[in-house]
Amino acid sequence: MNTDVVGRPLSRVESRLKVTGAAEYTADVRVPRLLHGFMAMSTIARGRITRIDTRAAEAAGGVVAVYTHETMPRLKQPTYRPFFKPFIPIQSPEIHHAGQPVAFVVAQTLEQAQRAAELVEVEYEETGRPLGELAMGVPFLAPSGPDGPNTFERGDVAEGMARADVRVEAEFTIPMHHHNPIEPHATTAVWKGSKVTVYETTQALGNTQHVVSEALDVPLDDVRVISRYLGGGFGSKGPVWAHTVLACAAARAVGRPVKLVLSRAHMFTSNGHRAETHQRIGIGATRDGRITALDHVSTQQVTRGDVALFNSSEPIRMLYDIPHLSNVQRTVRLDLPTQSFIRSPEACSSHAQEAALDELAHALKLDPVELRKRNWSSRNMADGEEWGSNYLRECYDRAAAKFGWSRRDPRPGSMRDGGELVGWGMATSAHTAGGRPGSGARMTFDVRGRARIQVGTHDLGTGTYTIMTQIAGEVLGIPVEDVLFELGDSAFPLSYASGASTTAPGVGTAVNRVCSAARKAVIEMAVSQPGSPLRGVPAERVDTGDGHLFDTADRRTRVSYRSVIGHGGKPLHFEVEPVDTPLGYSTGAVFVEVRVDPLLGRIRVTRVVGCYDPGTVLNRKTARSQVLGGIIWGIGFTLFEHTLVDPATARIVNPNLSGYLIPVNADVPDIQVQFIDRPDPASDALGARGFGETPMTGVTAAIANAVFHATGKRVRDLPLTQDKLL
Amino acid sequence: MRDFSYVRPDAAAEAVRLVARSADATFVAGGTDLLNLMKDGAEDHALVVDISRLPLAGIEESGGRLRIGAMARMADVALHPVVPKRLPLLSQALLASASPQVRTMATIGGNLLQRTRCWYFRGTGFACNKREPGSGCAALEGRSRWHAVLGGGDHCIAVHPSDLAVALRALDATVHTLGPDGARTVSLADFYREPGDTPHIDNALRHGELITAVEVPLPPAGTHQRYLKLRDRATFEFAVVSVAAVLRTRGRIVEEARLAFGGIATQPWRSAEAEAALRGKPLTERNIAAAGRVLVRDAQPREDNEFKVELVQRALQDVLGRYTGGSR
Repeated sequence: MNTDVVGRPLSRVESRLKVTGAAEYTADVRVPRLLHGFMAMSTIARGRITRIDTRAAEAAGGVVAVYTHETMPRLKQPTYRPFFKPFIPIQSPEIHHAGQPVAFVVAQTLEQAQRAAELVEVEYEETGRPLGELAMGVPFLAPSGPDGPNTFERGDVAEGMARADVRVEAEFTIPMHHHNPIEPHATTAVWKGSKVTVYETTQALGNTQHVVSEALDVPLDDVRVISRYLGGGFGSKGPVWAHTVLACAAARAVGRPVKLVLSRAHMFTSNGHRAETHQRIGIGATRDGRITALDHVSTQQVTRGDVALFNSSEPIRMLYDIPHLSNVQRTVRLDLPTQSFIRSPEACSSHAQEAALDELAHALKLDPVELRKRNWSSRNMADGEEWGSNYLRECYDRAAAKFGWSRRDPRPGSMRDGGELVGWGMATSAHTAGGRPGSGARMTFDVRGRARIQVGTHDLGTGTYTIMTQIAGEVLGIPVEDVLFELGDSAFPLSYASGASTTAPGVGTAVNRVCSAARKAVIEMAVSQPGSPLRGVPAERVDTGDGHLFDTADRRTRVSYRSVIGHGGKPLHFEVEPVDTPLGYSTGAVFVEVRVDPLLGRIRVTRVVGCYDPGTVLNRKTARSQVLGGIIWGIGFTLFEHTLVDPATARIVNPNLSGYLIPVNADVPDIQVQFIDRPDPASDALGARGFGETPMTGVTAAIANAVFHATGKRVRDLPLTQDKLL
Repeated sequence: MRDFSYVRPDAAAEAVRLVARSADATFVAGGTDLLNLMKDGAEDHALVVDISRLPLAGIEESGGRLRIGAMARMADVALHPVVPKRLPLLSQALLASASPQVRTMATIGGNLLQRTRCWYFRGTGFACNKREPGSGCAALEGRSRWHAVLGGGDHCIAVHPSDLAVALRALDATVHTLGPDGARTVSLADFYREPGDTPHIDNALRHGELITAVEVPLPPAGTHQRYLKLRDRATFEFAVVSVAAVLRTRGRIVEEARLAFGGIATQPWRSAEAEAALRGKPLTERNIAAAGRVLVRDAQPREDNEFKVELVQRALQDVLGRYTGGSR
């Protein structure tokens, strides 16, 4: 095998297409006779439509059709789970949240559709004051969802607390957040007879295919979904949302292709969000820093009619060696759009746990790194199984050394630089990875020795094209230039959704398996082909590299793939079926420096050092970029991100990137990234685990912990804006 | 947004005539705010008159005054040789505004006329007296982190968002205009309007009246000038609190302190009382604090923006504190 292909900081193989504009994103799709859709949205959150007048809209220039709940073709509510919304809009007069579609306009141009949507006149009857962001008061315990039970017990918390010498208890609140990928959600539906091709911004081709099939009553095989490039998704494009189904229905009804591109404002009510979360956490420990008990209760919003929770508790249940533990995920029903998962669903409970551990370390007068090491576990604490590998303790040591942690004076407010307070904080990063259904793959080895591999998976911009190309090059022993990896088409063998940090292990395993099968077959050909230099060499003695097969006993005895396959005279085809990937845990340690203006409370993150254990690093550049993205988001999450809901109307008041602040370059400090880079023996993807979401966890608490270290103030209510330090 | 007509005349008088004769018409310069307002439905115009061809971009110094053409771009003014040297406050305020891309497009006249960032104003469907007179004000009971604690009332608490206007208020600038009835000059002190019961009227301009220039008296050498902008991220964001200070001292005694504030009020805010509290007194931490207390005496904060009352006093302390020489 080659040893230098995997891990190389190869630039994205599709980067030239992207920077030259040649990559066709979903909103760029052009097909003949294309019409444009746009949705009018409800301005009330709870009630019903009493009258809807489309005459002005229909009379506006370029308008082809205006569909309301009275005229939209009937659609079937999908039972397929990744359709999270408990209803399809524009099917009944009922209004469940503000920003719910009430009319779907089809016009010749986008601008004409937008204008006509403004002209749809809607009268409502409101049924009581809607409950929004601030009404978190009446929680209940929802039944177990598809992601498991909402309660988890280990040992006896009361007993564990009784054994503790020191206890801390704290409450944390994290506001509503939105994904805000730079690329808007878009759907282009093209019907040919009873078959439909859906160009879609999706992290899950199969989800779209199933939901469209079910909602529009079309056989599954008659729905083809294409999604070749994505400008981010962060979970928002994993489920299927109502606008996709509506665009397909409108296209079928008008008898022409329809493209729907959501506006930024639509993206605040149409495709999920991180539900506001309140958490109460209590931790008890012995004086030497052994945690005896942890008690955690979270409360998060769901929509009326839905019970699925997405701010999940894995870090509480899995991470630390805590003998007595109780975890409860409670729910409160609000008149808001359907919530969903958002990178990373484990970030909220991670934040509470890692911030509370800092409080515990302070109470114990114990170094926060040491506290975490004393409670480290080599096992998944939720089920007791040993992880394939876990080098978290080395991550602490390496990141701490790089950061200079040993020079930290632990007393809050003790470190200054000029007039500024300096704070150093740290936390554990940890996120589940894999543990989901795997992926199929197919491959054609052409007579020139070039491999073409097809998987119905996705590239969120994270580097799927590139790392799969590297895995194929590595396994086959051919230059990456001779690998063509294709994705984004439901006609290919499907992968699981590209979410939950599953693509690298799931698809990587499939690519490894299909390439291994191909390599083995070509070796068999080479050792049996008449005239082959390797004829008669035992197959197990043959290795591959640089596009060649060679005898390991005499490396000069070699033959090229091209020669072997060319001799056979026809391309070779291989296909593998999906296998489940094991659950992994990708961890790390993150250290943060902040500077705080003592008079004004102004906070700047000035330095971040992280060391991570993702198993084998498939590509040092794309893996590093995942870390940068996670840390930068962590800065926004902690310091300013906040979707605001108007208390009177339950309408989102800042549905745009002017009001919803994300970090700009000036907010991003020096970030130093290290990797352990040792294979996880449990992974069939050359030792790689999923990793995308790990860097987003921990860093939020590390920032808050650093602010405490700088100021002596614990701010447990995010975002941590400067007024909270006054 | 509805379809609109667009014209680009070559002469100011023609531009004024075109807008003045149609109630549905407006001027556009850089367009960085107007287009968003129109797309968001907060403004609606049938005719847009582009003034970018008009010869109004000059920047000239004469007789101790700097005259800045209304079409001068923010970036050009901030970096003009005279400005960082003689009007550092102006330069600082401009460079603290928006992003480099926006500053390269946006003009001085347009900046002064940008509309409030109040999300109840920009989000159609909410009650807003500024957007739709008489419809009410959803902000009063709404989320008010970015709203005013001074100068508001029962009809509107929207903040004027311009950093430039705050700096120009402290610099005692005047605005030159050309309207259907000819040219006139308006002091910036008289330019912006408190909302009262007509919050839809932002300023003293009449329909069809065009800003042609802004004139700024150059403060004498030795005058301290400083702009401090506090916001929720490092850059490309509007102020939650800002302070513009023009300070003249003799020894430790304050001869003149011109103080203007942004983020806290419905218009760029001057407080004669706060300035008087410093005049003739030694510049000490204690006297600055006293001026700050006078500034916020009539503040009407809400739950979400109560912090501004404290923060603006600290911001004033930060801005003036560096000139006290450590005197408490």
